[in-house]
Amino acid sequence: MEFSHYAPLWGEALLTFLAVLVVLLGSLMKNSGKLMGYLSAAGLVVALGLVASNLTIKPALFFFDTISVDALSQFFKVVFLVVSLLVVIASLSRYTGKGAEEYYALLLFATVGMMVVSSSIDIVTLFVGFELASLSTYAMAAFDKSKKNLEAAMKYFIFGSVASAFMLFGLSLLYGMTGSTHLADIAAASLANFGPATLVALLFVIVGFGFKMALVPFHMWAPDTYEGAPPLVSALLAAGSKKMGFVAAFRVIIIALVALRMEWYMAFAILATVTMTLGNLAACWQNNVRRILAYSSIAQAGYIAIAFVVVGAAYGAAPVNVLNLGLVPADQLGIAGALLLILGHALMKTGAFIGTAQVSSMVSKGSETDPDDISNYAGLAKRAPITAFCMLIFMFALAGIPPTAGYIGKFVLFSSAIYSGLVWLAVIAILNSALSLVYYLRIISYMYLKEPAGPKMAEQKGYVVALVLTLLAVVWIGVFPDAFINWAMQAAAVLLPQ
Amino acid sequence: MISNVISLLIAIPLLGAVVSFFAGTKAKFVALIASLIPLALSLQMYMEFDKTSKLMQFVESYDWVPSLGVKYTVGVDGIGFPLVLLSTIVSVLVIIYSWGETKKPNQYFALLLLNEVGVLGVFTSLDFFLFYIFWEIVLIPMFFLIGSWGGPRKDYAAIKFFIYTHVASLVMLLAIFALYFTYQTPEGTRTFDMLTLLAATADKTIFPTGLLNIIFAGLLLGFLVKMPAFPFHTWLPDAHVEAPTAGSVVLAALLLKMGGYGLFRVIMPMLPSVDKAFVTIIAVIAVISIVYGAFMALAQKDIKKLVAYSSVSHMGFVTLGAVAFTWMSVTGAMFQQFSHGIITCVLFMSAGTIQHVVGTRVIADLGGLADRMPKFAVLMMAGFMASLGLPGMSGFVAEFMVLTGSYATLPSYTMFVVFLSVAITAAYHLWAMQKAMFGPILKKYMNVHEPHAYELFSMAMIIVLSLIFGIQPGLITDIMGTAATQVMEPVITLTQMGVI
Repeated sequence: MEFSHYAPLWGEALLTFLAVLVVLLGSLMKNSGKLMGYLSAAGLVVALGLVASNLTIKPALFFFDTISVDALSQFFKVVFLVVSLLVVIASLSRYTGKGAEEYYALLLFATVGMMVVSSSIDIVTLFVGFELASLSTYAMAAFDKSKKNLEAAMKYFIFGSVASAFMLFGLSLLYGMTGSTHLADIAAASLANFGPATLVALLFVIVGFGFKMALVPFHMWAPDTYEGAPPLVSALLAAGSKKMGFVAAFRVIIIALVALRMEWYMAFAILATVTMTLGNLAACWQNNVRRILAYSSIAQAGYIAIAFVVVGAAYGAAPVNVLNLGLVPADQLGIAGALLLILGHALMKTGAFIGTAQVSSMVSKGSETDPDDISNYAGLAKRAPITAFCMLIFMFALAGIPPTAGYIGKFVLFSSAIYSGLVWLAVIAILNSALSLVYYLRIISYMYLKEPAGPKMAEQKGYVVALVLTLLAVVWIGVFPDAFINWAMQAAAVLLPQ
Repeated sequence: MISNVISLLIAIPLLGAVVSFFAGTKAKFVALIASLIPLALSLQMYMEFDKTSKLMQFVESYDWVPSLGVKYTVGVDGIGFPLVLLSTIVSVLVIIYSWGETKKPNQYFALLLLNEVGVLGVFTSLDFFLFYIFWEIVLIPMFFLIGSWGGPRKDYAAIKFFIYTHVASLVMLLAIFALYFTYQTPEGTRTFDMLTLLAATADKTIFPTGLLNIIFAGLLLGFLVKMPAFPFHTWLPDAHVEAPTAGSVVLAALLLKMGGYGLFRVIMPMLPSVDKAFVTIIAVIAVISIVYGAFMALAQKDIKKLVAYSSVSHMGFVTLGAVAFTWMSVTGAMFQQFSHGIITCVLFMSAGTIQHVVGTRVIADLGGLADRMPKFAVLMMAGFMASLGLPGMSGFVAEFMVLTGSYATLPSYTMFVVFLSVAITAAYHLWAMQKAMFGPILKKYMNVHEPHAYELFSMAMIIVLSLIFGIQPGLITDIMGTAATQVMEPVITLTQMGVI
């Protein structure tokens, strides 16, 4: 087999090689943290280019049909690479000293893990990718070694392990029943013959993924972890690794467990409603900005879970004229909406967490109070104008105000709910969007309307570059959404029978 | 003729907003230029405007998001154009009035220009999606104007304003989506085109009455909150009292008009197809707004709050005229929008000037100011007279047209308004004026002096405009008359609708 046969996987190969190189070079050279950061950034840019050159590739299978490079995997790989790149750029102002090379290596390994998950069509490969990403991020969550870090990392680790155990147990039942680890084979086996065992398997899979996606009531780890981990790591967790849970759940639940769709349809209808409502309500009562963002990210997971409900309701339905896209099945539209929301949310959340990282890095010097407390955001517009302005746009975007990336995913997703006859779900989701404005506006009013909590602060270059890049992407997607909608539609088609 | 004139109209203040944000203390000059160009453009449009045409004019249309059916379509007809003119005039005058602003002037003027962008966009958009974006954009500068330059309770007022009107906009958005998802073009595509969707609402096979009633109620709520009409007016007094003067002026003169514009553009074409009870509901809301607003104004201690409630009362005439559905009343209601838009500027400017010259707005603490500031007193007096409906000024013509027109179809409502509000309106204006400006001057105000020339200039310009349009209303009502005919084309009277 010649080398070029694996061209679609060069991105993963490059990053794996680079991660090892960063560890080796870092241990050989002194004070190489910054250099390793630049090296990682360059590697991520090249990997992004490699992935982007195969954006809407016809599904190509590798390694005994365990890895599939298709439009869906490429979509998620772009999301993961962009998030990692932005985090690395911001980290160049934060992680430069001793041990920094470990940080960059872990981040690269985590990215590779996420990329493997997005391509996996076999449950063992999927699990290996998942653990690669998870183990790397467990270590990253404790990277600053403060007490809070350790607590956050511990919680994240325990909950993550429990989730993995649930997931693995569910998947092992599936393997036991069907005799295959391949998703397509599991889908082809008639699961209904196995009676209640299939329901047990489904339950474990949903609980496992529920933890990973932070759906209520499996969300408890998320606020504590996002609050306690180093802020830039929180960005990677909320924007990157949580999205990994979604791509895995998409593949396992929509492809492999399609026969059980009437069962998971109900489960996700309840989970989605409860998650978005409780996420938004809880966010209103928080005083820690990172906790607010964590609950907002839980609420967003609730919106995204609507896609499962839509697929369950509309699977195999005849295509109808949707929006202006011509004849399209409603379930494809639903998945496309979820993908757009994932893309938009990944960018907005990366931006928002980088913003909090910037603030806490500026505030925490010589301060005893919690650097993420909302009181530290008072008058931020005067103290750090660029950060405050970017945060302002991210808040509006998260609330779904057009023309930003936030509205486009919601628009497509909620309209798919309408097309599949779930008007009630669309109305609940829109009312939730309205509710979410309460806490986003609270952050905005602190930043822009309160008297400054202290003197002007020096905004650090790495953070500013990352923030502005994210801002441009968020606005670009919102103003020219057409190409992104078409791309998401193509990616969504991968999950559905042709 | 300039091509793409409406896009220029919107783009220039937007550019101006960005430039003045970075212009530091020079921002006011940038803002003045960036608001004078749209004024010149809109006057040029006025010259070229075909007053007899019922079609959209100066139309521009480009694909924006083809996969969703969103287009960038702008154009004006007799409903929108007078308000475009109003927006460009008021924006210039409010920038001149604010010439002395020293607190963060770059942001202040940038926000005023951004506001102009938003309202011009609302009055010219012919695509519901675009319309909604501009509708929401307007909230942002106003939120910051109230929140950053406002009075003691500014945070509360800013957030209340934002949440209240945003929730109403969301209800409106739901209704827009219902229109969008129900109607399919003959080619099987979806569209946000306002005129197409509104025309389709007349078709009972596409929009059954039950569904249309719900859509209608959602849209109506969005517009009534913005107007604001009783009982959705509670955000307005708070926002006005805390807002800086320029914010109040823009809020009352332009933002409230967005609600009225929605009535004419969206509500009236749908009115013949919905449940007849809506006519009664809207008429009752209109009458209560007029009467309740007037009584509340009479009870206020703060002169700015008095003016705020007078806005509720005056905007009630717009609602009444629209729902009475005669040519006279609809034309009058459109004219009332324009007329109230200019007159209310001078009222809020008066309240603002009194606040910063004297240091209080409580009417009971004022007295005899005319002695020290005669020029200001003359202008304020003229403004108050215009507002209470002195013949010869625009307010009189507008309200007279509304009442005469409404009497034909809604006589009992109209009589109720005439008996209860006309005298009260005169009373609160005259009482406030008399108490604040006339009588013997209080000792503590001996050092009070005339306000700045630029403040007097803006007020004087408005009085002149009110006089011009009071004496020669045809300058603008010709356009509105054509629009009224066009709005009423499908069904001519309430009798034909089966309401009375």
